[in-house]
Amino acid sequence: MSSPFQAMLGSLMRLRGVSATLLVDEHEGMIIDSMLQFGQDGARVAALAASLHRKARKSAEAAGLGEVAFMELEAADGRICAAGRHDLVVVAVTSSSANIGLVRVELLKAARGLA
Amino acid sequence: MADDISRWSDELARDPSSQVFLPLGEALRRQGQVDAARRVALGGLERHPHHADAHDLLARICVDAGELERAFDEWDMALRIAPDHTGALKGMAYVCFQQQRFDEAEDYLRRAAARGDTPDAGVAAALDTVHRSSVSRAAVDLEAETTTADPRLLFTRVLETDDRTALLLDASGLVLAGAYLTPEGVDVASEVGAQLSGVTDEAVRATQHLDIGAWRSITFETEAAVVAMAPAAGDGLLVLAASKATPLGLVRRLLDRCVERAHTWLARTGGAGGGA
Repeated sequence: MSSPFQAMLGSLMRLRGVSATLLVDEHEGMIIDSMLQFGQDGARVAALAASLHRKARKSAEAAGLGEVAFMELEAADGRICAAGRHDLVVVAVTSSSANIGLVRVELLKAARGLA
Repeated sequence: MADDISRWSDELARDPSSQVFLPLGEALRRQGQVDAARRVALGGLERHPHHADAHDLLARICVDAGELERAFDEWDMALRIAPDHTGALKGMAYVCFQQQRFDEAEDYLRRAAARGDTPDAGVAAALDTVHRSSVSRAAVDLEAETTTADPRLLFTRVLETDDRTALLLDASGLVLAGAYLTPEGVDVASEVGAQLSGVTDEAVRATQHLDIGAWRSITFETEAAVVAMAPAAGDGLLVLAASKATPLGLVRRLLDRCVERAHTWLARTGGAGGGA
């Protein structure tokens, strides 16, 4: 049975350079839904991305900076991007050649659409 | 020399308006008779107030007397009268050099070098000396700043404006240097550091798991600011916050500069000055 988030994750997955998309519970670090390439271990990515997002959110709270809208971890050969709302985080794993501006816009749009 | 002085003195006595006061004053100065040289120079200036060389002579006498400010003023006057007066430019460079105003000294020397039809070896050597002194002084300034200043102010010069703030955390999330100021000016560095403890470890694990190479930065956008983080020496973390109006490209450049500064500071102090 298709989840209500498949369309959202599917549209993100179609962006150039995106290799995985996940919807994650920020508190538990558990996958709610995902679209992964064959052989990818989503559970670990979900846990780590959720943890990073949680740390960013709590540090922003401590500094009085308000809600975290978008987060990006940049590495030599790729990125992990995330946008959160209501304890849910939409995560995209991309290559370094991805159009990060477009990924950011689509992730923010997806996060706004979360219930 | 004594004969010359005697001859020029006689000539000046016969004709007080003679310009022989110039070689006479210089000769007396070279003999160390500073007071006598000054009287001659001042006498000449009374009759020739717009003679650039007369002001140049008095300036050199003032230098011998240790009166650098007065010397600078006299050379400045000479330069107003004769804008191409190389001696005045060299003299002003000398005063600036003595006062450790190296940039100005270099500027005067370059102007002096540009005046001559042929290269002036003395000016070139002076330029070299000024340049080396300037570099040496800059290194001393940097060392003093990075070793003795309040660690909380480590990034102040790099950040340039008040709406940016940065801090350096150790692997445990403890603050080593810098500050994390709220818009109200409250330093919440310790609170932010505690919340970010472990970020480096998780970033490393995530990038290793995905096999996407070493992590370079984490950036997150909030309602009020952009926060960027980068790995620092010794599993540390550099955290930079800037107003949301700051372009992301600039945020990254500032982050790189802060990392470099932290690296220099850690190398010099071993982080011993931290723990704010």
